[in-house]
Amino acid sequence: MTKKRQSGKARGSARPTRRSRRAVPPSGRAALSVATSARRSIGERVAALTQGPLAATEQESDLQKVIAILRNGDEPIPVRLAALQMLQAASFGAPAFEPLRGVYMTALRQVAQDPDAELRQRAFGLLARARDGFAQRRLLEGLRDPQKALVPPEKALQLLAYDIHAEAYPIAREIVSKPPSAVAKREALRLLAADAATAPVFEQILRDKSEAPELRQTAAGALRALQPDRLQAYAREALLDPLENEELQATSLTALTQFGDEASVTGDTSLLTRARRLSTEASDAVKESALQFLDRYDR
Amino acid sequence: MPLVTESIAPSEEDFAALVEVLAAEPRRRGELTDLLREEHPFYNQRGASTTARMRGWVLVGLARAGITDADVPFVLGELDTGIEPRVVAAAARALRSYPRRDAAFAPFVLRAIETIRAHDEPLCLDEYGAYAVAADATTAVGELLETLRWLGAAARGVVPAIEALRARPEGLDRARRRQLDSTLRAIRGDAGAGPTPACCNLAEAVGLAVRPADAREDAAPLAGIRFEDHDGMPVTFTDGFLGHPTIVVFFYTRCDNPLKCSLTVTKLARVQALLEARGLADRIHTAAITYDPGYDRPERLRRYGADRGLRLGACHRLLRATDGFEALRRHLRLGVNFVASLVNRHRIEAYALDARGRVAAVFERVQWDEAALVARAEDLLHESTDPPATAGRPPSRVSRGTTTVPSALAPVASLAAVFFPKCPVCWAAYASALGIAGVQLPYSPWLKPVLVALVLVNVVSMGLRTRRTRAVAAFAFGAAGALALLGSVSGLAGTPVALGGVGLTLAGSLASVRGWRVRRGAGRQVAGRRGRARNPCNLLNQPRPQSSAS
Repeated sequence: MTKKRQSGKARGSARPTRRSRRAVPPSGRAALSVATSARRSIGERVAALTQGPLAATEQESDLQKVIAILRNGDEPIPVRLAALQMLQAASFGAPAFEPLRGVYMTALRQVAQDPDAELRQRAFGLLARARDGFAQRRLLEGLRDPQKALVPPEKALQLLAYDIHAEAYPIAREIVSKPPSAVAKREALRLLAADAATAPVFEQILRDKSEAPELRQTAAGALRALQPDRLQAYAREALLDPLENEELQATSLTALTQFGDEASVTGDTSLLTRARRLSTEASDAVKESALQFLDRYDR
Repeated sequence: MPLVTESIAPSEEDFAALVEVLAAEPRRRGELTDLLREEHPFYNQRGASTTARMRGWVLVGLARAGITDADVPFVLGELDTGIEPRVVAAAARALRSYPRRDAAFAPFVLRAIETIRAHDEPLCLDEYGAYAVAADATTAVGELLETLRWLGAAARGVVPAIEALRARPEGLDRARRRQLDSTLRAIRGDAGAGPTPACCNLAEAVGLAVRPADAREDAAPLAGIRFEDHDGMPVTFTDGFLGHPTIVVFFYTRCDNPLKCSLTVTKLARVQALLEARGLADRIHTAAITYDPGYDRPERLRRYGADRGLRLGACHRLLRATDGFEALRRHLRLGVNFVASLVNRHRIEAYALDARGRVAAVFERVQWDEAALVARAEDLLHESTDPPATAGRPPSRVSRGTTTVPSALAPVASLAAVFFPKCPVCWAAYASALGIAGVQLPYSPWLKPVLVALVLVNVVSMGLRTRRTRAVAAFAFGAAGALALLGSVSGLAGTPVALGGVGLTLAGSLASVRGWRVRRGAGRQVAGRRGRARNPCNLLNQPRPQSSAS
């Protein structure tokens, strides 16, 4: 708790001072000395890490020192966040970074267990994008046992979705059936969108008018990828149903316009009649989708 | 601690304990090797990362116990295609426990360094599932370099490649660069014997199993499997795999290991080119079957194949099993396992099937050679070509209802209808022609029902074929001809209409017969709805695939 309070304090003083903004260090070496100096203000150190020539350093030793800042729990959180930002940028292109990738990953694993929630979450984000086994294991543990959770469940699901090969489908299905929150359910559905075995669940949600339109939209997108024929069947029913949600009708029109089976749609008189009606009587979004639909099928 | 049984998937902790026990008991070494099979039930419903942790631990156990010849394909397979640092590092460590320093190992170790150095990382190999948070731990490249040092003189053949690596050390930190230099010195300074010519034989032998004809397993369990091809056309095992040798590989489009599925399909394209160059493209078929039939729908298969240079046709297909994938998996003992519907890990596997659909050769784990695979399939062409063993197997519904029987009836019935004498004028014409030859031919009005029956058989069989071939024009000609003939026979129309009917029936039947011939050569599969080339087996007739970007 004390540490968190300190972190908050430190974050409050994170804005670079006017002096520090004016005085961007002239060289990478000087910038590094500012960034690593505990006697400099937090603002100056953040600026040195993120704005000066250090941000584009090609020196392996410089990068190692920045990794040391990130690892050091005694450093102020804004400085460590700035170090993380700088390393993240370097990881995309600096050739000097390549030999340090492994060390960087181990540093991220350490930071993912840091008491500061923001640092933790950002480290998890980077590890999850790299499909890191450590991060996946910790995220899954947190979903199974909320006492061990290092990030909120919706964030954990979002991060696990970076790797379809993670072991997340069973727990995501559990969350869909017993969601801790609406947003967690949405993220669980998004994660499951690549799981062919969940197609019946998506169809059920899509047809359930009591579900939130956003979830039904997610279900429609997933069904399009997994079982396009089922989506087409639903889309027809949705369009012919005057009580169906307008957003879903617009989605259905778009789905049919882009992926519909030309022969069956062109020959479907009741569907074409309904689309003509929607093109004049519905909301603007539906009208536009209906016109695109008719443009393709109504000849 | 009670040991788990195979029927119950153990927790990771129990699995780790089991591996320790097996590694400590020489009599149970085989069980440890067995845990390296991808299809082992212990890996069922585990994520890819969990599977990597478990396999890595098995390899560490093998490194402690010492690997044998039975383990070598697994270890070399990891070095050849592995992308997880933990598993590759453990494989490198395991290889050092082999009793012989074989020069054939060196290229595998070197390839692994090339692959893994871009995502090398510090590792904890001595504790199950531990992830390094300190930077001074061993790494995959470190373990691989140590293995090259262990090979010593046996690695002399790859010294130029190691020197080239030293010249462009991207991805290697200072410690690894120092280790690389020391490894080079150790190899050069080793006074032992250098590479022997026998090296290459081992590399070729690893992962290859050839089965003589009398030792092949009957393909009967596969008879009920139904596939859908890249064009969405249904294909049964009988349709697609009997009557000709077939080269079969497995893949799935969501595979994230570039050295496995993507490369496998790219290599299959090279196999096709080799077959074409040798004039075998219509005699040896190819098939790439997805492990992920729920997700890999026809449009995904088509795009994946086209992006990798595959040329698709009726003899060369991408397939997903719509029914019976489990039977296929069991029969071929596919090296694959799943988490939910998704593959968590698989091996490389390519098969040469004989004309009866039986497995004649398997190439697995390490990268297979395209020419070697084609040579194996070519050998199968020279085997005796007894009729496919379909006895005792129920023919598939597609075969029974719409392919085999109509294929046989359509040309016979239509030609019989065309040349059947339909009216007194026809009889007179036949009689005068035969009379010249001295043959008497009486006119029999009661033969009319026979003609009607022939016409109807012709129309029905063409109609059934049209459901699959979608060759509507041929059917329309045949049907119009039938109407004209029936009108003439019933007396509603005269001789000119009958002659027109003959012409139309002849045209329809010719179109049908021509199509039938092409499709027979293509394994009785029909042309796709998007208009495949005239001879679907001839890859040169296929349009060159366009990349998705274009």
